[in-house]
Formats: sequence, structure tokens, C-alpha cells
Amino acid sequence: MQKKIVTLGVGAALALAASGAFADQAGPNDFRLGMYFVHYEAQADDISGPYAPAGLNVHVDNVETLYVAYVRSLSSHFNVELAFGYPPLTKTEGRGPAKLGSVPYNGQVISTARWVAPTLLVEYVFGSPSSRLRPYVGVGVNYTKFVARQSTAAGNAASGGPTSISLPASVGPAATAGLSYEVNDRWHVYASYSVAQVNSKLTANTAGILRTSEVHFWPNTLVVSAGYSF
Amino acid sequence: MLRKIRVLGVAVAALGLAACGGTDSPTAKVATTNQRGTLVDNPALRVASLNQADFTAQLNATASGQQLLALAGTPACGVDFYYIKYWTVGTGPQPAPATMVSGALMVPTGSAPQCSGSRPIVLYAHGTTTDSTYNIADIADTSNAANSESALIAAVFAAQGYIVVAPNYAGYDISNLGYHPYLNGVQNSEDMIDALAAARTALLSTFTPGTTDSGKLYVTGYSEGGYVAMATVKAMQAAGEVVTAAAPSSGPYALEAFGDAIFFGQVNIGSTIFAPLTTTSYQKAYGNVYTQTSDVYSSTYASGIDTLLPSATSLATLFQNGKLPQTALFNSTTPTSSTGNAVLDAAANQLLAKPSSPPYSASEAALFDTGFGSSYLVNDKYRVGYVDDAVINPDQAEMTLIGGGTLNSSNVALAATSPDANGLRQDFKLNDMRGGWAPQEPMLLCGGDQDPTVFFQNTQIMAAEWSPYVQGGLVSVLDLNAAPVAGSPFAPLQVALQQTEAQLVAANGAAAVQSYHTTEAPFCMVAARGFFAKVP
Repeated sequence: MQKKIVTLGVGAALALAASGAFADQAGPNDFRLGMYFVHYEAQADDISGPYAPAGLNVHVDNVETLYVAYVRSLSSHFNVELAFGYPPLTKTEGRGPAKLGSVPYNGQVISTARWVAPTLLVEYVFGSPSSRLRPYVGVGVNYTKFVARQSTAAGNAASGGPTSISLPASVGPAATAGLSYEVNDRWHVYASYSVAQVNSKLTANTAGILRTSEVHFWPNTLVVSAGYSF
Repeated sequence: MLRKIRVLGVAVAALGLAACGGTDSPTAKVATTNQRGTLVDNPALRVASLNQADFTAQLNATASGQQLLALAGTPACGVDFYYIKYWTVGTGPQPAPATMVSGALMVPTGSAPQCSGSRPIVLYAHGTTTDSTYNIADIADTSNAANSESALIAAVFAAQGYIVVAPNYAGYDISNLGYHPYLNGVQNSEDMIDALAAARTALLSTFTPGTTDSGKLYVTGYSEGGYVAMATVKAMQAAGEVVTAAAPSSGPYALEAFGDAIFFGQVNIGSTIFAPLTTTSYQKAYGNVYTQTSDVYSSTYASGIDTLLPSATSLATLFQNGKLPQTALFNSTTPTSSTGNAVLDAAANQLLAKPSSPPYSASEAALFDTGFGSSYLVNDKYRVGYVDDAVINPDQAEMTLIGGGTLNSSNVALAATSPDANGLRQDFKLNDMRGGWAPQEPMLLCGGDQDPTVFFQNTQIMAAEWSPYVQGGLVSVLDLNAAPVAGSPFAPLQVALQQTEAQLVAANGAAAVQSYHTTEAPFCMVAARGFFAKVP
């Protein structure tokens, strides 16, 4: 059973969590729900390609979304966390000239995408298992896949027509530091701060004309959550 | 327990979204056929959108833009610039190969009544360029060689309510043909007609779908584009398609006569560029110009000249690197004919000698003289062979002009059959606009009789050939260098052009004449617009 949990995907892990809910005592499983406050430290190269003036850049708006995680306690000091958020609608704004010709650019929401970003973390929990307040740190791997990649009407106007957007999935390191507080045997509350590195190459295709930008995100996430152990 | 189930419900919902992935926004559809006139990417790319105020401001920002505004008038409309990619055909053995090319579609925008709804189309043919990256859609890139011509036609036509369609031509921009079918009337008209078809498709899916084709079609162009415009009218008429009116301007229509004039020593400005463009084009299409380039060209330049133009390298660099002479088309030590036929040799030698004053004016003789040098482009043997052929199989119109005669409808026609020995002369004759047709709808032939690049004789020969139509009013001739006729709608343009040229002479002396050809272009386009407005 243990091995299965490690090897199976998110869905299976949650299904197991459901079956665990029938147990009477608090077990090694912890299911957490909370809020992600995501601040994108995004840095993009200027957009390059045909008919793209110099100095075109983008900015990624911050988002808040639902945080869901399954944590399995491996020992009194080690946990494995599989965390992900409800895929947030992330907006990208134009940065650079106020207008491209007569088309507004700077500050316009030119594209949107949702992120599916599971993060697998191995965490070390400080203090004694009997302590109510236990800090922890963790490192792991973030996988980010972008879905529902949409160029907005303003984006299409700036790009010059219907535009498809490619943002390949990214695999990168992630780290976290947090604090858990035991409310009672079953319930804990958590606050944590996590960072991940996400690199992707944005390619906008408008009528066969490709414009690209290497985008580097360092999503800083503040998570406040409550967890139920079983 | 209940709480747990709710929590799980949210998690499952999140997973469901992750699994389905949502939808991505689509880009343009790509054509799956390479048939002539097919738009490749639909909708087409809008490369720039300038509203009336921004376009006006952009023109006002430069001295040349201010001159253009003064001539073309303040824009009434904004202009959206679309880049169209479409399929046309090259040249060579039939069926000619399909080739993907590009061009511009300019759509007027704005709230003024003439800027939306059902609008006429101007099909525009650009002039000679050596720049293989020429892209007339690229109004936003001032470093593109086409930028000023793009602004010109946008200001003259699109900003006044005409939809403009302008091909970049095969051999330029994205075209991988490897050469340009220069002065090939059949291919040039096919490219224009295919650009028009593709643009009409693109027009259905612009940012302003309410702006539509009224069905009125005007065809114009300047220099090489004047020739292309005329060839397009000829081809469309032959296909039974109506051209509402046309204004070919300053084009080399009477190609055989013009070619003969140049080989007789009346070397035009730009000849060292026109020569390789022409020989490469005709060699690719007909294979009859040379066996090897050194048959035509001097050993200094023969190597690689067949692939030299168009080029991404600037003309200045090509000159600097010794790829082409700047002006010396022929050897300054003029060769002589030695066929053994004394009559032929005497006539040919007279034509091979450098033109002098008289019979030419001192300024004409000085201009032609720049076409001769010690490091020359066309070799002596080839020039002699061409001239011998022109003596044996004369072009009536050119011989009339050389003899100081007056052109009329009986002395300008191309010989019906002429066993030209010279391949280039055969090709000139094949592509000459004379013979077998006349415009069925109004046509304005604009140009200037001081033009040192494309001689006005081209216009005069066509006007003489079509003299019944000129007299009947269907064909109009505008000589911008002629004395303005009081009451003529074109008189203000003649006055303005002549003032501009006088200022150039005052600033640059006699050398100013060398730029007359390009100086006259916007004046002819404004004349064309005035002419079109009278043929609704």
C-alpha cells in the first residue's frame, strides 16, 4: 500500500485518502486545503520575431487560488507532500510601448492561461512529534503545464490576428518553508512560503508568423491551509 | 465525514479541469492547396494599424512625410496594413512552378464615410528594386527598402478610402524563386491577378469585416510597376475581367524600342541594375539570352551575375565590392561592327558611337556619357551583335526616333514577324506592350519627358500606337514636364512637380536630373487618384 501511494498519481493518492477517511484514528495521511497567494516574479526576454518592435515585453499578474495537498508522513520528521492548486487563470499584460501603431499595448491583458502545477516535496519537520508548533522545510520538484492558453481580443489586436500561444510544460526545482500548528489530534493549520522555478518559451503564432520570448517564472507562493489527518 | 466528502469533491473538480486541459485559442488556417491566388494564412496578419491621427502624425514626423502630406492631402482615413501570403507561378517551361509570394493589403479605417463600407480597390505594382527583402506591407519598419513606397500608396490611396492591394513580386521577401521575373508581362500579370484574388479572400476576415470590395478595380504602378500595371490590364481584359480604369506610369512599355535605344548608346540611369535583372529573368523564362553569362557580360562582372539580383546586400555594397559598375554599361572605347557587309557595318557603327551633341542636347549627351566607362558591364561583342540585329531587324518606332521623325500610328508598330537573331531582342519583343490590344476602359499614361531612367518615349510610343483612343478620350497622356495647360485638372501637379525639380536643380545642379524618375512617382500617383475619381 505504501509503495502504491508513492508511485501512483495525484488522483489515485486522493482516492486512497478517501478510503483512509473510513479509519477511526489519526493516521499518517494528512489532507490539506487552503489558499495559494501566488506572486509571479516573472522575467521575460523582449518578444522577438517578425513585425515586433524592440522593447515589447510582458508582465504576469499575481493570482490567488485554492490550495490542495496530500501529505504522507514517512516518519516523525519526514513528510512527502504532493501539492497543487486549482489551476488559476493567470493573465499576461503587455509591457513596453503604450501603443503599437494605434493599438493599445502597455497594460493590456493580452493573454490568459491556466496552470496545472503539481509539486512534489520532501519535507523535514523540526521539533518533537508532541510539539504543537513545528516548523518544516522542504525541497522537491515542480511540474508546470499550461492549459487553456488564450490570446485575448486585445492580444489579437496587438498581434495582428487570431493568435495561438504555445507555452511548453516545465520541470524545475521547488522549495518550501512552513509552520504547522496542531489544533487537536486530527486538525492542524499551516502557513508556508514556497518558491519554484518555471521556465518556458512563449511562442505566439499569428497567421504563421511566430514571435517568441523566453519566460522565467519564480512563483512565490504563500499558503495558508488547514489539514485533516487520518 | 460529510466535511471530508465535500473536501474531496473540490479536489476531484480540480483534477477534472487538469485532465480536460481547457481550450487553446486558434491561429489562422493554413491553405492546403497551392493553386494560383490562394491565400496561405487566413485571416491574414495585420502588421500595423494606424488611425487617421497617428498616420498623419507619423507622416508629419519626417521631411519626406511632410512633402507627401502636402501632395497627397491630409488622410481622411486610418489604414490597417495586412501582410498577405499567396500562391502564384514562376516562369520557365510550362506548367510554370507554383511559388509562394507575399504582398500588402491596405484597408481604410475610421468613421469618415469614405473609410468603411463598400470601397473600390487599387491594385498597385511597385517599381524596380534590387532589395530581395522588399516588403511593401511593412509600414512599421523604416529600415525596409519598401517603407517609403508603402507610405506613398497608403497616403495617396488607402488614407483616402481606397482598398490597396500591392504584391511584393515573385523573387522578393518570402519568395524562394531565386530570381525575379523582371519585365515578364505574363508572369507579372499573373502575380498581380493572384495577389488580387488572395486579397479579396483576406478582405473577408479583417479586423473591419464591414469594409468590403465594391467591385470597382483600378490598376496602377510606377516604373517597373507601370509596365506591370499595363500588362495586368492587358491580361485581365483578355480574360474578360473588367478593370474600371488604369494609370500605368513611367513604365518601359515599348521594350524593344527602349532596349534598342539603350544599346544605341542612350544609356539610362540605372542601366547596370536593369541589365542583370532583365537578362536573368529572360534567361530563366526562355533560355535564349546566353549560353554562359560571359556571352553578354564583361569578364570583370560575368561570374555570378546571374544570381546577383535581387539581393539582400545593399546596392552601395555591391558597387563597392565590384559586383556591378555604378553607371558604365558599355565600353568607353566603343567597338565597331565587322560583318563584312559595308552598309550594315556603317549603319551599326553610327549607332555604336557615343551619342553626342548635336543631335542630342548637351545635358542628354552628358547623361548618356556616364553609361560608358573602362570598367564596363556588357561586353563589346554582345553590344555589336545586338546593334547589328537591330539594324537588320529594326524596331520602326526606335528608328523613327533616331532619325528625328515624329511617331504616329503607322510607324510605331512592332514588326509582325521579325527573325531577330539576338535572344534578348526576341524577348523584348515578346514582352513589349505594343500589338494586338488596346485599353477598353479609361487609361491615364503619366510620366515626364525629362525622365532619364525610363524614357518618356515608352509612353509616346504607346500613345502613338493608340492614337485613335487618345483622340477619342479613352487614353489620356500626362507629361509632367510639359508646360501646364490652363484648365487642365493636372496643371497644378505639373506646376508643383516642375517647382520641385527646379529646387532640386538649384540644390544639386545638373546631377539633380538623375533623380527625376523617383521624384515624379508621387505626382503620377496623385494624378492617377484624380483620374480614378473621375471614373467612378
